[in-house]
Amino acid sequence: MPSSPWLSGSSHPEPPFIAPTPASRVSVGTLAAAGNSFLRQHFSGVGRFRLRKPLHHIRTACLLAFGLLMAGPSVVHAQTAQTDVPSFAQNGTLTVCTNPTLPPMTFVKGSDASKPEGMDIDVARALAERWHATLSIIPMDFTGLFPSLGAQRCGMVISGIIQLPDREKNFDAVAYQDTALTVVARANTAPINSMADLSGKTIAVQSGTSYASRINRENEALTAAGKLPIIIQQYPTEDQVVQQVLIGRVFAFVSQDVELYFRQKQLHGKVRIILKPDYSDYRHFAIYLRKNAQDRTLVQNAISTLEQDGTLTAYRQKWSISSQTEQALTQDNSAPAFNWGAFFSALTSMAFLRGAFITLAVALLSHAIAIVISIPMAITLNGRGNSLLKAVLKTYVSVFRGAPTLLQLLFIWNALPQFFPIFREQWFTPFLATLVALSINESAYQVEINRSALSAVDGGQELAADALGMSRRQVYRYVIFPQALRIALPPTINDFISLLKTTSLASVISLQELLAITQVQVARTFEFTEYYAAALVYYLAMVFFFLFLQKRVERRFSWADRKKASANAS
Amino acid sequence: MHPEPDLSGAAPVTPDAVGTLSDDAMISVRNMSKLYGDFVALDRLNFDVQRGEKIVVLGPSGSGKSTLIRTFNRIEPHDSGSILIDGTLIDDKTNLTQLRCMVGMVFQNYNLFPHLSVVDNCTLAPQLVRSLSRKEAKDMALHFLQQVGIPEQANKYPIQLSGGQQQRVAIARALCMQPEVMLFDEPTAALDPEAITGVVSIMNTLAEQGITTLCVTHEMAFSRHIADKIIFMDRGRILEITPPEEFFTTPQTERAQNFLNQMIRY
Repeated sequence: MPSSPWLSGSSHPEPPFIAPTPASRVSVGTLAAAGNSFLRQHFSGVGRFRLRKPLHHIRTACLLAFGLLMAGPSVVHAQTAQTDVPSFAQNGTLTVCTNPTLPPMTFVKGSDASKPEGMDIDVARALAERWHATLSIIPMDFTGLFPSLGAQRCGMVISGIIQLPDREKNFDAVAYQDTALTVVARANTAPINSMADLSGKTIAVQSGTSYASRINRENEALTAAGKLPIIIQQYPTEDQVVQQVLIGRVFAFVSQDVELYFRQKQLHGKVRIILKPDYSDYRHFAIYLRKNAQDRTLVQNAISTLEQDGTLTAYRQKWSISSQTEQALTQDNSAPAFNWGAFFSALTSMAFLRGAFITLAVALLSHAIAIVISIPMAITLNGRGNSLLKAVLKTYVSVFRGAPTLLQLLFIWNALPQFFPIFREQWFTPFLATLVALSINESAYQVEINRSALSAVDGGQELAADALGMSRRQVYRYVIFPQALRIALPPTINDFISLLKTTSLASVISLQELLAITQVQVARTFEFTEYYAAALVYYLAMVFFFLFLQKRVERRFSWADRKKASANAS
Repeated sequence: MHPEPDLSGAAPVTPDAVGTLSDDAMISVRNMSKLYGDFVALDRLNFDVQRGEKIVVLGPSGSGKSTLIRTFNRIEPHDSGSILIDGTLIDDKTNLTQLRCMVGMVFQNYNLFPHLSVVDNCTLAPQLVRSLSRKEAKDMALHFLQQVGIPEQANKYPIQLSGGQQQRVAIARALCMQPEVMLFDEPTAALDPEAITGVVSIMNTLAEQGITTLCVTHEMAFSRHIADKIIFMDRGRILEITPPEEFFTTPQTERAQNFLNQMIRY
């Protein structure tokens, strides 16, 4: 979408244009746009993404007219030429969204999951340097990349994404790397001649990528020819796609040759390319940005310069991206044994410890917030009569218990910034977003626990405390809450354990919790059994600790059990 | 000795018939009513309770006995008329904390706090409401637990005690507030005969100490021998206020006669 309708149809190669300041470029999200953002999670490349503020058109038109009248186009042009920094990097920071699970383009090489590396990151760094901006990398799930770009959470997306006309309807793309589509199977598989040979076979692709729709076009041809279609399985990360081939669940996967050059070394020759279909439209990786003709030109110029001065060539050599590195595939099918070394190094790594800490912190904090906000809600709901407040609270509980937690996370992370631009700023981190989403979600469950616990305290208790002259606050603090606590505690700890595991959903909004760390590590080494096992140990250790705590705490409530009370007294 | 109550039932009540509130009485009730929606729980009641008097409230189920005594500590606020307790008018503006320090209450189901030990049941309110120190409150609790005859149970939890023992704790807990009026709401209804004897003897002791007592009970020993007056209620109205010997021998109303016949049969 161009910045101004007057520019879209212009015949000027470089139309007069005043670069709008970032503030004036703020788009206003509408319900339609928010809904669209969700559709895009699964059907990328469909529909218009942003709706522009009508006021903005008027303002741009006025500025244009003013510029033409007062100074003439050439002067405006001269002003524009002074700045070669795209609008999204003008505040001194180049924010880049990437999904670091696609080596060698973008992946986590070391143990720090917040620092991806690869060709894409080098290109981003070179661009930032050229624009005198600080580079800020936001690692996230692939499906979150385009919504985040639309929500202005990042200035550009560079994540080994194919340049496709469908995607260019909504975003501008600048190609920076040649690539070719490849079909990859286990090393002992014979090469095939065409995509039609995959008829009836199962292949794996990463969800959110364009491979699925491309293969569906093949399937239309296959069906028309009376053959069985290719069965497609979609997985959220590239490493899971590769795993399906390694464990033999699917026949092949679809990927890019540059990735394969890298993976071959990593997989010790366990896979091989069996076909490179000649798809004319699958030949370039591109940087994506929000529609802006000026920005697109500036990025294009920057990439051209980097190509000419040999920078990109140096990067390609650094990351082994060239057809010369395509090695002869060796038959090295040693049985995958459990690598205890990798398991223990994962178990003791700072990355896993950090992930577990984030998991624990987000679960503890959000449950604490949930408990605090759910107590007054429960007391209100337990009160007599029907008030508007009660109706509102009942709706709150129904909505947040009804909606899937994953959807709530995605809504708060991707849709909220469309309504309130303040939520796309840097302070609104994935941690904070997860905290908000899980606190709200958990409070809806906790209200029910608190409500039933408060109801379960005998009415005579309140009566007796009242008759002794206690204030409302004292009645609750010293008489009702201690008794309700005993009733509420077991289901609350139960809920907490469930919440602890629910935090793993936050990997989709790029929170680097335990499961996200695990997946990133798996993408790096493909020792998935070992890393999954390490993650399992962490989760179980945390859960067992809280179960132990529950036992200990329940022992404190011996007053409710005659035998236990007698045993304690003696 | 006591002013003539309005026993005319449905007859219109004039200011003269109601009279003025008595400042000398411990409790003075004038034309007091309590409604639950359309249902009249208490219907224009008038009577006085003198300092140190022991009153037993009798009547069939649903006659309003419990509701009546609960209006005195405002656990059930009355809707019209006046209640004067120790010269203080009881209404929306009454300091409930002060009122409830002065008027103690014992319930049929004890309503002890199960999460607190016996001694903590007795010290909680004195510490919170009367701002006693932990030591003062504990000394007083042990004193009253001694008085109700279960000092050795002080550190047990309520669930470990028998019903009779629990009711004794409830009495001690109320006494720890050092009230001037004690309200008993069917204190022996949930107890076995042996436990009843123990609780009644404690109530006798309290009566001898001169504490003003209102008791809803069907316990004949207490009603006959200890009570100064019987208030007989039916359908929210007071039908008789008489000394026990009169009430049990020559009840004035047919309703009271029927009620006594039923009682004697059991």
